[in-house]
Amino acid sequence: MKKFLLYCGLTLLLVPVQTTLLPHVAIWGIKPDLGLVVAALVGLLEGELEGLLVGLAIGWVLNLYSAGDLWLSLITTGGAGLFAGLVGRQVAQVTPMILAIGLLVLSLAGGLVAVLSMKTATVTDTWWMVQSVVVPQACFDAVLGAGLLWFLGQRFMLQRLGTFDRYS
Amino acid sequence: MWMVNVRSPYGARRLALGLFAFLLAALFLFPGQSQGLLEYLDGPVGQLVRLPLEAVSSLDQGISNVWQQYVALQNVEEENHRLRQEIDWLRGQNSQLREAAAATQRLSALLQFKEQALPTMIAAQVIGRDSSNRYKSVILNKGDSDGIQKDMGVITPSGVVGRVVKTTGATSVVLLVTDPNNAIAGLIQRTRDEGIVEGTPQGRAKLKYIPMLSAVKEGDHVVTSGLVGGFPRGIAIGTITGIEREEGALFQTADLSADVDVNHVEEVLIIQAPQGQASETIQKPGVGKSQP
Repeated sequence: MKKFLLYCGLTLLLVPVQTTLLPHVAIWGIKPDLGLVVAALVGLLEGELEGLLVGLAIGWVLNLYSAGDLWLSLITTGGAGLFAGLVGRQVAQVTPMILAIGLLVLSLAGGLVAVLSMKTATVTDTWWMVQSVVVPQACFDAVLGAGLLWFLGQRFMLQRLGTFDRYS
Repeated sequence: MWMVNVRSPYGARRLALGLFAFLLAALFLFPGQSQGLLEYLDGPVGQLVRLPLEAVSSLDQGISNVWQQYVALQNVEEENHRLRQEIDWLRGQNSQLREAAAATQRLSALLQFKEQALPTMIAAQVIGRDSSNRYKSVILNKGDSDGIQKDMGVITPSGVVGRVVKTTGATSVVLLVTDPNNAIAGLIQRTRDEGIVEGTPQGRAKLKYIPMLSAVKEGDHVVTSGLVGGFPRGIAIGTITGIEREEGALFQTADLSADVDVNHVEEVLIIQAPQGQASETIQKPGVGKSQP
């Protein structure tokens, strides 16, 4: 129950942070996708099921404040939590660098799906979106995720980063 | 009986993959029903999120006001001088326009024109930006409960901002005029040629489908045509900055510089369209609809 309330609070808090505060730290108009980063972190630390469920909840709530399609938001954020959990089982020790690489791949995949699903975009527009939005955002997500994991490790003395600790 | 043990890693993995596969199947096979179920919950969740969103937004606005009023005052004198000059120029323009308005009033009375009913407007505040980077939209602090509906036009005194594409109980999302998924019927004020104003991925705007024989030129003003969509006729959209004429093409396309700086807009007016008008908005595929 405590965990459920924590996830609810986290999801509700993500909305103002993502829509109101993060635009101020946007570089060249690009801000990180905090929802994707949090879903991947939950998946990695708590397993694929929790990653999926929290990712779906975050994707749904954040989509209420975006002009984008709901299905895309659910699949990319929920998928990020699920795949982070699945891949996390194969990694002996999660370090910020490992998480950064994983987030880079996940964010690139999600961004590419989103851009390719835009029905009105021409090839030139699609390529422009990939190099000006998808790639910088993926880099931003990777750095933010690595930073968050490092901060959590320092602040809360996170010990559960090894596979055995996480899943035993 | 078969049961999944979520505590075992294998059981949790199986359940997660099954859930994800079910979700994918539901979203692709029954897009309307599955998303309609979630959209039913949008209202209560929107009300719940309203509290932290408005708290953070007012804090953000407070800090921004302090910064603008006390810290960032370096160029104020220069700006003051420029604004005084602009006021003098506008005063001159104003007197000319008064004359023109008086003449129009006399002529309208002669022709017995019916007065055009002004639409009702609701003032709203911008409390956030799109949660993703792929769409150019802003979040307003007015929603369903304030009478806001999809496809209503959003303006400032300077001109068009965009149109409402999504609402929750307490907030609404406005797709900006510079978003490639937006389409607004426009009219070149001088030549009276019509076209469609669309955004570009780079965050600019274009007037498309201008007839090839149109004598459009740089500096021409574009306003809403009022024929379709949630805007009445004559609201400023932008100024033409360049024209593309391709060999063998049927239409011309013009680059537009939007009259409203949509990246810094803080307060807006939402036009409550007369009944039946909102449904006629030009709808581009994929926007406002939540279907794969």
